[in-house]
Amino acid sequence: MTGGRRKEGVSISDLRRLHHQMPRWVIVLLILGLSAVVASRIPHLLMMLMAASFVSYIFSSIIRALERRGVKRSIAVVQIFVIFAIIVVSVDLFFAPSLKQEMVTAYKKLPEFSRIEGTILASVQKSVADYPVVESNIRKFLDNMFGPGGFLERNLNVPEILGQLTPFLMGIILVPFFVFFLLKDWPKILRKVMDWVPPSYVETTISVITEIDILVGKYLRGLAADCFFVGVLASLGLALIGINYPIILGIVSGVANIVPYLGPITGCLASCLVALMQFNSFDNVLNVLLLYLAIKLTDDLVIQPLMIGKSVELHPMLLVITIIVGEKLFGISGMILGVPVVTATQKTIGILLEHRREMLRRERPGILIRSHPDKLPVRPI
Amino acid sequence: MVFESKIVKKYFAWALDDAKEPSLRVLAEVPLFKGMGKGLLRKLLTDLIEKKYVSGDIIFHEGDSGKALYVVLDGSVRISKRSNSGDKTLAVLGPGSHFGELALVNQYARFATVTAEEDAVLLIMYKSYFDDLIRGNSAVSSRILLNLASILSDYIHCERPEEKAEKESA
Repeated sequence: MTGGRRKEGVSISDLRRLHHQMPRWVIVLLILGLSAVVASRIPHLLMMLMAASFVSYIFSSIIRALERRGVKRSIAVVQIFVIFAIIVVSVDLFFAPSLKQEMVTAYKKLPEFSRIEGTILASVQKSVADYPVVESNIRKFLDNMFGPGGFLERNLNVPEILGQLTPFLMGIILVPFFVFFLLKDWPKILRKVMDWVPPSYVETTISVITEIDILVGKYLRGLAADCFFVGVLASLGLALIGINYPIILGIVSGVANIVPYLGPITGCLASCLVALMQFNSFDNVLNVLLLYLAIKLTDDLVIQPLMIGKSVELHPMLLVITIIVGEKLFGISGMILGVPVVTATQKTIGILLEHRREMLRRERPGILIRSHPDKLPVRPI
Repeated sequence: MVFESKIVKKYFAWALDDAKEPSLRVLAEVPLFKGMGKGLLRKLLTDLIEKKYVSGDIIFHEGDSGKALYVVLDGSVRISKRSNSGDKTLAVLGPGSHFGELALVNQYARFATVTAEEDAVLLIMYKSYFDDLIRGNSAVSSRILLNLASILSDYIHCERPEEKAEKESA
């Protein structure tokens, strides 16, 4: 009977298992395909989901900490939202007046942007008076940047900015909504996924989930803390050297710091521009440059090793390529999330290759995939 | 601890998670987690991944490289080993038991096959999680490693079940 149930070395149970597994892979492919179509058609939705995942990851450790103390997950999530609302209101009460003042002053001084060309030229003219070629090139660059039809005018298109405002406002409402349900229902989602995974893939799936959780969680939480410290340091430093709008510039520097390499440069450039407008000389720009250099060194040598550690071990070249490709595909969110996504993919591929080797070894036990000739186990005495 | 106090239990009972209590009691019986506080057991229950197995599901095969420790929360599993005279059952484990603990120490091949004897719920601890758990937490690491050492020394000093089975068959 047993022999009759076997067909060319494959048992009925094997075929049944294969039959049960096949549709799952088809469903996985369908889900991936559908996600890709949705992502390309509605990029804002993808951005919102990415932002929600990012925020959920940051808060998940607090939720877990509360759960460990016996608090219901749903109550813990509500607690977090209430605390966050209190913080927002407090910040609004204590910091909003000075922030508002900074923004009003900055808005009033916006026309000075048009005068910046002349300011920079006047400062540069002295130093490059003997080099007409350099002067004409700088003038051409400044015309392209600030002149009529230049980079600034092209990119500061008011109708376009207003057009971008709708998804932004939608995001303000939808991201917290997604965050709430991601935080509340994550264990249920995970349990559903695990119920769906065939037994032979359980260890591999768990290794992927655990490795990604440790790696991406550490990276995103570290990055949030890193940005906070950079923002605070930039604000304090700029206030100390007397640059206008230190809070706004600190926030810009902190947020921009999310993007590796390019972020710190953006924050520094914004502050340099304000310093140039304020003092009409390059001396204070040098102070700003030195300040940002000191912040970058502190960040690289102290903050990042402590906060992010070695969670992301991407080659610098691959890192830059990831940022560029991420920006091309998904804009700013692609630049921010490209690095953890590529690192997680790298890790996942490694684990899947190991799983494949394992399967191969199980199918052909005679083949030794990995040996430890110098590490033969010695029976303990 | 504030969350364990009577006042909290009386007035904030609605906010406390009682659904995990049965699993928590089972986890407290696991030899590897002997002597651990309720907080840490809750942490394990929160962090570790649960998986339901249907009767007959093979959890892992003999010879697979071990990557995780399993704790039986519900149901039972059968541990069996291949021998010349066919598969031999070494043990049937129920709630509060664990298996695959050697995977936490190294990634040598599993020495037996484990199958779900009946529908079972297992809690799975991956090696990287264990490494992360004990890193920088001396109290937890010393407790778990002592328990692990105790289990291994018991194993060495006792007659191995598979050797006993072989002797019986001889």
